[in-house]
Amino acid sequence: MSFILTVALSIAAYSIAVLGTFMLTGMNGLFSLGQAAFMGLGAYVSAIMVVNYHLPFAVAILIAIVVAMGLAVLVGFATLRIRQDFFALATFGFGQAVTGLMTEMVNVTGGAMGFSNIPRLTTPTIAFISLAVAIVFVWGFRRSHFGKDSLAIRSNELAAKVEGIDVFKHKLTVFVLSAAFAAYAGALMAFHTRYVEPAMYGWIASVTWIIIVFFGGRDSLTGTVLGSIILLAAPEALRFTTAWRTLVYCVLILVIINLRPRGLFGTWELSLKPVINLFRPKKHQEVQ
Amino acid sequence: MDRAVIVDMNNLTKMFGGLCAVNNFSGHVLEDQIIGIIGPNGAGKTTILNMVSGIYPPTSGEIIFKGKNLCGMEPHKINHMGIARTFQNIRLFEDMTVLDTVMTAYSWRAPYHPIETLISSPRVGRFDKEIKEKSMHWINRVGLTAHANSVAKSLPYGMQRRIEIARALASEPVVLLLDEPGAGLNQTEVQDMVKLIQDLFSELHLSIMLIDHRMEVIMCLCEWIYVQDFGKKIGQGTPEQVQKDPVVIKAYLGEDISNA
Repeated sequence: MSFILTVALSIAAYSIAVLGTFMLTGMNGLFSLGQAAFMGLGAYVSAIMVVNYHLPFAVAILIAIVVAMGLAVLVGFATLRIRQDFFALATFGFGQAVTGLMTEMVNVTGGAMGFSNIPRLTTPTIAFISLAVAIVFVWGFRRSHFGKDSLAIRSNELAAKVEGIDVFKHKLTVFVLSAAFAAYAGALMAFHTRYVEPAMYGWIASVTWIIIVFFGGRDSLTGTVLGSIILLAAPEALRFTTAWRTLVYCVLILVIINLRPRGLFGTWELSLKPVINLFRPKKHQEVQ
Repeated sequence: MDRAVIVDMNNLTKMFGGLCAVNNFSGHVLEDQIIGIIGPNGAGKTTILNMVSGIYPPTSGEIIFKGKNLCGMEPHKINHMGIARTFQNIRLFEDMTVLDTVMTAYSWRAPYHPIETLISSPRVGRFDKEIKEKSMHWINRVGLTAHANSVAKSLPYGMQRRIEIARALASEPVVLLLDEPGAGLNQTEVQDMVKLIQDLFSELHLSIMLIDHRMEVIMCLCEWIYVQDFGKKIGQGTPEQVQKDPVVIKAYLGEDISNA
């Protein structure tokens, strides 16, 4: 597989996790510093299912997603009723605990040495189609009443409650969905890099996704996807800066966030309407 | 004529630490009735509405609605049972259009599973279209048709009050709680607001609990009035009775003036 294709595949897989963070942090203002733990869970569970139990790839991924969602329900029940800043702290603790378990449970996970010998089953086609489907999913979710409810809860939780929205149930739904996205991304990555280790799933990854969402625009799905592609490609594109890479990367983010506080794309969304209108008969347009 | 009691409040008390915000308040709302709660600042009027709408539970006492005690019930469940409210300090949603704001009041009625939204099942689109129509009806009703697609927070204060009312009506309530609907409005706007409330009341067969500072709002709308002062009920009666009650006059104007 060519270098470019390998990088593109990783970007596609990680973007799926970023989409989960978009729903949770972007749309709902819930900062989870433990999102990456769900990715790790997805990676480890699916890898162990295939390598140790010889289950088919698809079944293993499905199990991984269900496990992550189940855990998200438990974590959500414990954390989503508390205030949002404490939610960030609680999920941070959860995330670190999960990576801690991955390190300690040596006979299951291989410990700090990592888990290897995973077959390469994620093809570029699978990754790109998955990303496309994930985008369509988030688009549909956001266009339904959940999109409006998210914005309502984010800007005035009390008013949202009083007009009948079950805020806790809403947050739990979003949290569980975002965990599923992260877990799926983790599974795709595990069967791409063929090796996983606990250090990949610490809080830094979770924070990176949050930065990406705010960089692209928390109120723009288009912005999140494009921002995700830009920022995930940046470390590779900036290789020529050698030792200065991290610094250049950070400056790039700071400049964008200062110049465009609402993110690179603000609230702008890519729309197919102008294209569709081009093919419509003239009369129809005039009526509109 | 005998009308049923819709909301029955018995011995409501709310303590915040050592402060008694509402002390042993009892009262009720009949069907097709507007009641008012008046009193100076800090009298505990909003606290009573907050207890009825479930924002916080009473320290003691009970609120009976449709045969159930609302105490300790979560606000969204109380809304589902048929009690909607507006806020004194307007609480609208950032960046949201008037139409979207009103539509959120229907969200909880969505008949589909969250998973269906991911695949944009036809039911999601159908529900969206249906609640858009219903929401437009309420927006038309409060006279904001032309502004349905404006950002709610960018509109003048008087219109924002109407948006809150439209949003509360979109819950299709039996009981409407209005927390100072006239606050911050000028004279003509207040008159329009009073007319709107009156019209909605006669059209929709609502029971309304109203709080206001402005006597003209309370006096021309309410059939029955409770007067609160420092958390305590100091009087009740029809507008005429309340206006003549010496205790009420004392609370409102001070002793010296009422004696003069």
